[in-house]
Amino acid sequence: MLARHAESLFWAGRSIERAESTARMLDVTYHGLLEAMPWEAERSWMDLLKVLWLDRPFAELERGVRAATVSEFLVFDPDNPGAILSSVGQARENSRAARELISSELWEAVNSFHLELRSRNLRADVEARPHELYGFVKRSCQMIAGVAGETMPRDDGWRFLMLGWMLERAEMTCRLLDVRYSQLVTAGATGGFHHWLQTLKSASGSEAFRRRYRASMDPADVVEFLLLSRTFPRSVLFCLASAENGLARLEAGRPTLTRPQRLLGRTRSDLEFLDSHELLEGDLHVFLDQMLNGVRQVAESVALQYFRNAQEHDIHALDPYGPVLELG
Amino acid sequence: MALSGLFEGYDPGGFFDEAVTSEGAPRDHYEALVRRLEGLTPHHLAERERVRDAAFRSAGITFTVYGEGEGIERTFPMDLVPRIIPAGEWEHLEEGLIQRVTALNRFLDDLYVGDKAVIKDGIVPQWLISSSDGFQRAAHGISVPHGARCLVAGIDLVRDAEGTYRVLEDNLRNPSGVSYVLENRAAMTRVLPRVFDDHLVRPVDHYGPSLLNALRRVSPAGADPEPTVVVLTPGVFNSAYFEHAFLARQMGVELVEGRDLVVDDHVVSMRTTHGLKRVDVIYRRIDDSFLDPVVFRSDSILGVPGVMSAARAGNVTIANAVGNGVADDKAVYAYVPDIIRYYLGAEPILPNVPTYLLWDADQRRHVLDRMDELVVKPVAESGGYGMLIGPSATDAEIAAMCRRVEADPRGYIAQEVVALSRHPTLVDDHLEGRHIDLRPFVLCGDRVEVIPGGLTRVALRKGSLVVNSSQGGGSKDTWVLASPEARTSRGRP
Repeated sequence: MLARHAESLFWAGRSIERAESTARMLDVTYHGLLEAMPWEAERSWMDLLKVLWLDRPFAELERGVRAATVSEFLVFDPDNPGAILSSVGQARENSRAARELISSELWEAVNSFHLELRSRNLRADVEARPHELYGFVKRSCQMIAGVAGETMPRDDGWRFLMLGWMLERAEMTCRLLDVRYSQLVTAGATGGFHHWLQTLKSASGSEAFRRRYRASMDPADVVEFLLLSRTFPRSVLFCLASAENGLARLEAGRPTLTRPQRLLGRTRSDLEFLDSHELLEGDLHVFLDQMLNGVRQVAESVALQYFRNAQEHDIHALDPYGPVLELG
Repeated sequence: MALSGLFEGYDPGGFFDEAVTSEGAPRDHYEALVRRLEGLTPHHLAERERVRDAAFRSAGITFTVYGEGEGIERTFPMDLVPRIIPAGEWEHLEEGLIQRVTALNRFLDDLYVGDKAVIKDGIVPQWLISSSDGFQRAAHGISVPHGARCLVAGIDLVRDAEGTYRVLEDNLRNPSGVSYVLENRAAMTRVLPRVFDDHLVRPVDHYGPSLLNALRRVSPAGADPEPTVVVLTPGVFNSAYFEHAFLARQMGVELVEGRDLVVDDHVVSMRTTHGLKRVDVIYRRIDDSFLDPVVFRSDSILGVPGVMSAARAGNVTIANAVGNGVADDKAVYAYVPDIIRYYLGAEPILPNVPTYLLWDADQRRHVLDRMDELVVKPVAESGGYGMLIGPSATDAEIAAMCRRVEADPRGYIAQEVVALSRHPTLVDDHLEGRHIDLRPFVLCGDRVEVIPGGLTRVALRKGSLVVNSSQGGGSKDTWVLASPEARTSRGRP
């Protein structure tokens, strides 16, 4: 497939995932605070911005950290390219650029979502019925995922879409854990039930976690679940393994591994053979930072390998009449 | 038989009406449709219109309008009343279109790779060809298999006050609109399925495979038996991007932009996720002047440097061929009847609209005296840009056009105003006559094929004669009825 189309699909997947995660985390933060002490609010909103790596751009706006300002910034602020509205717009533009590769049903799902979101009074929704709004965003993103799954052939286009989707999700979960964990360290608190429940809910994992760990709310279990679950589709390991599988299928029949495959395999195995209790005794933050770095490097090498035509550069660099490699 | 319901008070208004005779009775082939529409309430139709609009918007069937700040995405409004062409009438049109496009292909081949017999034999003057903006010297000597230089032609037809079909203009460069033919049909079957009852409408959805087939037939000699075809688009910001993506999807081929293609050693390849892949046929929807910055406009970033050299080397076929603009130059248009006679030795089946050539001093004087009765058009524009409609123009507009014509008589033509036929069209809660035209699409690979019907454009503004989408036009689903023999052979009553 065309390199440009592969890139568009990769980013379409990323943007949809980003919109969904943002909506879920906004929802959880907002509703978690309804039962919290007033002084916890500012810190929670700040943490949310950190998870999304938007704390600095937001601080520059000097709007004050409140539910309304942060929510508006994350939902529809035109200056925030990571806002839900912008992410969905990007997903739509990227789908449009690869329009003839995706099914009409998928395009219509993305386009309708974009149009409906734009036609809403988002300021009023954020103010008066945030749960309905975030529910709508989540449902729409999940519907897009479902439509994609039911209508897209499992070809390279699908693989690039999923690759973007899974890498974004892996990053989001890492960042979520990082922030939730560092919060505890800085606050010097043990955390407690609600803190970790909220974390799990942000990753849509509280029910799955319950079934697996029953009544426990041991931080080590939560970390283990979100990082290492082999069955939960938002765990970092699950996402990385899916992405790795996709990369392997892109290169079926190739005798050696590509650079993205090697980088991703390394990152995944660093994670897979980890002991979560050991991790909590060591420095989780340092480890998560390594993970995030690994994922970023994978994304960069995917871009180089598939979107920028590394092979093409290789071919042009090869001089057929150049010096022959001397063996021995 | 009086008309009722939505047709209450319907007045053909002295024009040729497609659906209703001057006595106010439905024409035979509209009888069933008229009766069915009479049974619909305005309320029902309004509801159907909402369904239609929602369907078009969510499908993203839009075009971009320029000139109002940044481009705005609009849907192309489809009127809910279909246009019907009976089998016999269509046979006549089809024959005339095949004849015309066959002659135009011969003409272009003669100019670019032949010995210019048409000029030597004095049919078309040399200076007229060499002064045409559409004539591309860079295309000289580049041949196209089967001489299919107009791989896709869109021939605009109008019907005059007597109901005679005439050719208004030829579009031989990048005719657009075919996606609406297919989308309108799909929308009609969803929005008003029951109006198809009692009609046997010829399908149009084979356009994609037919186009792909034609494109494969023109792949260079010696190319892979399974040639790689691509659609080349200027990109998502182009007003017709929807159509480009639509066609690529209908054919199942890649939609590429200039930056996706590279030319190395006169071979065109596209950049894929697994390196370079050779391209054999480019269905380009980019104008000549932007196609290759090496040969044409050097500031074009939409084009593919070196693609013309690859075509000249016979390694890739560009469709439509470069330089077709010379044949749809509106001044050359006046010569097309002679061109048909010259190459095919037959009388043109479809007549032109009476046209005046303004470099001829007598004709020019005649035209300048009665500008307020004529239509004046720039020869190289399309899309209705820059034209003057005398009867509805102000004195200042006419004076300005007179000055432009006198400064550049080769640059304009004048035509008699055709009292375009009208068609019942939904206006609020009832039907009114609105002027229409028809753009059938003709495909040429190793043979010439016409897709039944085409795009009927309708001037939605009352009294307007301009049907272009960029100028407030809409469209209609266009039905060509199968002949009675086809009806019985398919086992339908």
